[in-house]
Amino acid sequence: MKPRNRGLIVAVMLLFAASVGIQAVRDRDRVPFEPPGGMLWIQSGTAMKRMALGFDTLVADLYWIRAVVYYGGQRLRDRSERSYELLYPMLDLVTTLDPRFKVAYRFGAIFLTEGYPDGPGRPDQAIALLENGLRRDGERWEYMHDIGFIYYWWLRDYTKAAEWFERGGRAPGGPPWLAPLAATTLAQGGDRQSSRTMWRQLFENADSDWIRSSAERRLLQLDAMDALDQLNVIAARYAAREGRVAQSWPALVQGERLRGIPLDPAGVPYVINPVTGRVGLAEDSPLWPLPEEPQALRPVPEPPS
Amino acid sequence: MRSIALVAQAVFKESVRDRVPYSMVAFAVLIIAASYLISQLTAGQDMKILKDLGLAAIAVFGLLIAVFIGINLVSKEVERRSVFAVLAKPLSRSQFILGKYFGLALTLVVNLSVMTLAFYAVLLYVDLTTDALLKAAWPAPALDPRLVIAVVLIVAELMLVTAIALFFSTFSSPLLSALLTLGVWVAGHFNADLRNFEAVLDVRPVALLARAVYYLLPNLAPFNIRAEVVHGVPVPASQVALTLAYAAVYITILLLGAIAVFRRRDFK
Amino acid sequence: MAAIETEDLSKDFLVGFWRPRPYRALDRLTLSVGEGEVFGFLGPNGAGKSTTLKLLMQLLYPTGGTARILGRPVGDRSVKQRTGFLPENPYFYDHLTAEELLSYFARLFGLRGADARRRVSSVLDDVGIGSERRLRLRQYSKGMIQRVGLAQALLNEPDVVFLDEPMSGLDPLGRRHVRQIMLRLRDRGCTVFFSSHILSDAEALCSRVAILAQGRLVASGHLSEILAFELRGWELVVSHLSDEARAAIAPRVRSITALARGRFTIELPAEESPDRFLHELGSRGAQVVSLNPLRETLEDYFVQSVGAAESRQTGL
Repeated sequence: MKPRNRGLIVAVMLLFAASVGIQAVRDRDRVPFEPPGGMLWIQSGTAMKRMALGFDTLVADLYWIRAVVYYGGQRLRDRSERSYELLYPMLDLVTTLDPRFKVAYRFGAIFLTEGYPDGPGRPDQAIALLENGLRRDGERWEYMHDIGFIYYWWLRDYTKAAEWFERGGRAPGGPPWLAPLAATTLAQGGDRQSSRTMWRQLFENADSDWIRSSAERRLLQLDAMDALDQLNVIAARYAAREGRVAQSWPALVQGERLRGIPLDPAGVPYVINPVTGRVGLAEDSPLWPLPEEPQALRPVPEPPS
Repeated sequence: MRSIALVAQAVFKESVRDRVPYSMVAFAVLIIAASYLISQLTAGQDMKILKDLGLAAIAVFGLLIAVFIGINLVSKEVERRSVFAVLAKPLSRSQFILGKYFGLALTLVVNLSVMTLAFYAVLLYVDLTTDALLKAAWPAPALDPRLVIAVVLIVAELMLVTAIALFFSTFSSPLLSALLTLGVWVAGHFNADLRNFEAVLDVRPVALLARAVYYLLPNLAPFNIRAEVVHGVPVPASQVALTLAYAAVYITILLLGAIAVFRRRDFK
Repeated sequence: MAAIETEDLSKDFLVGFWRPRPYRALDRLTLSVGEGEVFGFLGPNGAGKSTTLKLLMQLLYPTGGTARILGRPVGDRSVKQRTGFLPENPYFYDHLTAEELLSYFARLFGLRGADARRRVSSVLDDVGIGSERRLRLRQYSKGMIQRVGLAQALLNEPDVVFLDEPMSGLDPLGRRHVRQIMLRLRDRGCTVFFSSHILSDAEALCSRVAILAQGRLVASGHLSEILAFELRGWELVVSHLSDEARAAIAPRVRSITALARGRFTIELPAEESPDRFLHELGSRGAQVVSLNPLRETLEDYFVQSVGAAESRQTGL
């Protein structure tokens, strides 16, 4: 008769449990070492293309995954240790290997523009990547829109932004809302309302969950900024009446008869700076940090009545 | 125990006379040629490059030995039916499997020791022929004893790979076993990336799946401390010890699995 | 106690990749081989001979039935200690020498040091491997490998030996040699169980045979029982046979076949008296070269029983 394996199977399962335990203990203290200077050995896309032996798009996929993991991995590290210097070379490698890798251009641009510490904060590289896309992948309105967007949101160059939106509207397949966007951008240059329109367009037309959720976060940030403006008006009113700034929420809640400590759209309470008395976003809020607005564009707080 | 040792001894004798000497010769030629060229071509960083190259060569040649002899251990014996005469001897199938495994493990240890000695000899040569000014720029001394720890972890990794090869070869053909083993080896090295995926991926079931795969597939990345050693970065002893313990547990799992499959197998 | 005993031993293999169906390679084999017997296990290719041997060596696990060797279940360590096995077309390790291979196996049998060396050297002498024993096996011819295979089966001076096609790959001299070894084993009291499809070997060696066809036992018994050694006729070889003499005897014989140099083979039916016939031929000037009785051979019996089994199977 064939021997039975029941005992062996039980032993194997117990040993698997032990191996998971050992790994968990080991991973607790393990810091993967990254040699200085990074480890992207081959940075030239053309050299890599030769070495890929015809599997260009497959190698591009692998490097794209590596780029995503690299970006995600850096975001997981302590803020002081994050470095994104390999991100652009990787994305450039990916898009050279596979010039029609739309996701790599568009997501890559988002990764690159994201400000430090959540990203390298390099809108210039993002624009370069997208312009490469236009050169290699043809006149796609999406890339033009994205470039315009970077000028608008990150570089605050509204003329350039309008130019690109305009170009996108004329490009084959360009959506009808791009041309009016160019007009508003030029006319109202960076007011919160036109930003909101733009993010909402992105949110509604996004072809990926990641872009959608990132647009949603921006929209929530805009809501938070509106709320903060109102709250600071209230705080200013309190300071004017009491002759000193509100140093904590209980004082402000009581003095201004608020219904409680106000929460930001992500559900985290706002914080009060005890020195200046200004209300701001908590650092542990997922919406932190808020994008910066040029001083001139901030709505002027109404004087206390 | 004696039977296991006898099988192991036969495996060792057979594989030493097989291809292993050639790979060692290839290794020695490669490393000596490389060190000579590098000392001619570069300045300053040649010690780092030499160590990178030496450790990589030890790992790669070791992998070749582990996979291509490892899969032959059982599947070739079954395919060519030499197993028939052996199993008719007073020897259980599990003793046969264990003997095969330890025989190859012994082959690996001997081979890697020889390669390591050759490696140290080249390092010694470069150390003696380099002047003190250049040596000051080296991140770690030439004859760094930590290199041995890197090699020990390479041996542990290769023993794990051998166990994988042995496991596959108890039920599939030599070619398929080789492909499967290399596949697991590649997956084992990318495995650590699965943990970072969670940071990028919001989808909960996928993240859980990635976590499960991470724990079940052999995780080979921690065995690679070559970069740390070459750059003179300390590796905590607890990490090394836990990684070795992990290797021991995982190898036991694979050997038990191989025995479980092999003892119930019909030899047509 | 029987040396080898099987009862309803059956083995199914699964065939077909997408929808595997069981294929019966051995069907309820019941067999008993006494101690000291030389037992021939006969059958055409694919009859299930090797399957049976592998079941007895526990290289296969049976689908049903039992098998015992020396009164103990197969695969038992003490059984393996007392048996030898020569697989069909054996193959060993390319890079070991015959001596190394056998000393490895000898030590698996528990022999040590000088005992092992002495034993290895004596079995290699037995099977006729001389100074070649120091060469690696990859340099051996098929016949030499077969001899090494035989040597490893005899290392432990077994009480039961299983030989799967022991004569295959051997030249006529080699076959005679192996036959002598088998007879020596028998004289020593060892049970020899061997499979073959070469019947003359079996006829020369066996006390008993079993014939297998399509997985089933179709006949078994003592050779003398199976073949009653019935006279089937006479074979007469003559020379100087004149044409009219030939014409005269033609109606009374089964056949006349011309051989070289003016000789003829004449086959007489069993009822014809050879004496009278010889006398008559002599008077017609023919000279008798030889006269032999024709008896039933194992081959006839084999063809008959296997043929019957096959026609039952196909329904013809």
